[in-house]
Amino acid sequence: MRAKAKLYPKEAARLLREKPGVREAVTGATLHFERNRLRAYAEVPIAEWRERAKALKDHVLSHLDHYLELAEKRLRENGVQVHWAETPEDAHRLLRAVVERHGVKRAVKAKSMLTEELGVNPLLASLGVEVFETDLGEYLIQLLGEPPSHIVGPAIHLSLKEIQKLFHERFGTPLDASPEALAQVARKVLREAFLSAELGISGANFLVAETGTLALMENEGNIRLSTSLPKVHVAFVGIEKLLPRFQDLALFLPLTARAATGQRLSTFVSLIQGPAREGEEGPEEVHVVLVDHGRTALLADPEAWETLRCLRCGACLNACPVYRQTGGHPYGYVYSGPIGAVLDPGLLSLEEAYPLPYASTLCGACLEACPVKIPIPKLLLTWRHRAVAEGLSPAWEKAALAAYRRVMESPTLYRLFSKALRGLPLPQDLLPLLRAWTEGRGPLKPSPKPFHQLWREMEEPHGR
Amino acid sequence: MDARSRILSRVKRALEDRPKAFLPEHPHLPFPEDPIPLFLERLGENGAEAHLLSPEGAQALLRELAQGLPGVAFGQGVPAPFREGLPPLPPEEAPLGVSWALFAVAETGTLALSSADGRRAQLLPPTHLVLVERERVYPTLLAAFQDLKTLPSALGLHSGPSKSADIGQVMVKGVHGPGRLIVAVLT
Ligand code: SF4
Repeated sequence: MRAKAKLYPKEAARLLREKPGVREAVTGATLHFERNRLRAYAEVPIAEWRERAKALKDHVLSHLDHYLELAEKRLRENGVQVHWAETPEDAHRLLRAVVERHGVKRAVKAKSMLTEELGVNPLLASLGVEVFETDLGEYLIQLLGEPPSHIVGPAIHLSLKEIQKLFHERFGTPLDASPEALAQVARKVLREAFLSAELGISGANFLVAETGTLALMENEGNIRLSTSLPKVHVAFVGIEKLLPRFQDLALFLPLTARAATGQRLSTFVSLIQGPAREGEEGPEEVHVVLVDHGRTALLADPEAWETLRCLRCGACLNACPVYRQTGGHPYGYVYSGPIGAVLDPGLLSLEEAYPLPYASTLCGACLEACPVKIPIPKLLLTWRHRAVAEGLSPAWEKAALAAYRRVMESPTLYRLFSKALRGLPLPQDLLPLLRAWTEGRGPLKPSPKPFHQLWREMEEPHGR
Repeated sequence: MDARSRILSRVKRALEDRPKAFLPEHPHLPFPEDPIPLFLERLGENGAEAHLLSPEGAQALLRELAQGLPGVAFGQGVPAPFREGLPPLPPEEAPLGVSWALFAVAETGTLALSSADGRRAQLLPPTHLVLVERERVYPTLLAAFQDLKTLPSALGLHSGPSKSADIGQVMVKGVHGPGRLIVAVLT
């Protein structure tokens, strides 16, 4: 996916101006997720769970070479074909080979952020393969040609009305069709696809090194179907997704579900060991592609390596007051919200993503929510410091800050400027440029007297 | 050097000076004496219909569910008495699927279904009846996983009917998998 993270401030402002409905839809959905998460966290000794999950992930990451080699060995023993991909091009080459060998015409896809990173859908389209996103939300945005706006709920920015309109145009359903009726239409189209596709594509929530088990979580059943019906299954797995032991799933599956949607466990979990055995239903071939794509660089980063603990639960997005205003699109890359703001500069480059660490109030809500205690607020500051040190902030900002500093350091200049500012006509009448900002807000009314004077006057009657 | 060695050597280099973090043990949780009441309650909260029945009672329930249907899709492990008098259908066509669970978990209201039992009958019919023996219900996920000796090619954990809130945040059942899940715990 081509990143447009640099345009974040502009894109966020444009979205708020042009699509005011998005703020309402996203705020509603994230608050709903957030309430459920809080309820689910309160039901268990969550402090202990989070601490243990963090320690387990830190263990895996500090022994990552060992666990990668162990996982590869176990996967092979299970009859899985293992591949390694440093770049999207590596992944494309592998996928192209599978498509050609099996004469794939149709592929069904389970929701996966990593395949968004790798641009799997455009590649398949260029090979003449018809791809169906099978998660309902993902299917909606595929029909609209949009990227996902949330890790867990890719279509939370769409209102029921918009979806009714979309289905009316595509499938001729009535404009007031119920969500049930719309879901049945999608079910029919996608069931057809499941039964005829030769290839199923997925990501993975976890890969267990000890047993070579792929773990996938979902609520609809589309992942179980995508990994069960087609004769070939290809799973793209980020190298940070490892867990040491099968029993570690007993912590990570429920913790992820509670953080993501407030469930005790997601409705369906697929624990996949390999291709179907003698006389069984299931895929004849299973491929696992272990993907780097910037992760080893993150691992080498003395601070940002902690982002590799991320479970992609989306809890930090739901908790974020900034994300809630726009949803994920303005962030301009696969990962949005607080985790995107600290992950994208590492996965892309700071040069490409430097506005994202500024998309935060530093309120700390993301850290409170995170099931693996990623220090997002600290990392936001780390990236900001680096952006300034590398001279990435725009020239006008540097000049403005330098001027501000001069004025604030000199009492005389400060008085002079505050007096001048109070005497000026109101900026919204003068600057049409500011209209986007001032339109929704009351006019600025400078106080007739400066604060330090008011303060003095307040103190004087007490006879000091 | 190929991609594999390049990735692994970068990982090794990144970790050279990183302190090694220890692997925490799992604590042993207090188990409820009898997990069955909790299991039935949690299944209900997950949107499934749960019953505690004798094998004969479960057979009667199945007959009732199958009444008026052209046939039923059976998992491999479903015992013969449950199949009697019910025409088998391929899962693509069957309105009802019946599976035999490998085990179940009370704390999450979960049924574990093996690929050896047949995946299609677990996923394609709109209604799914799962049979599980009382002794196979574990109190916690950890207890169940620690007890697993071998793993099937795919283990499916089902904790309720298929659902989605992707359309305007309204909860809809039966999007891809079965929209109705009925569980009989066999005494
Ligand atoms: S950073 Fe934490 S809260 Fe955010 S998606 Fe990752 S695991 Fe979830």
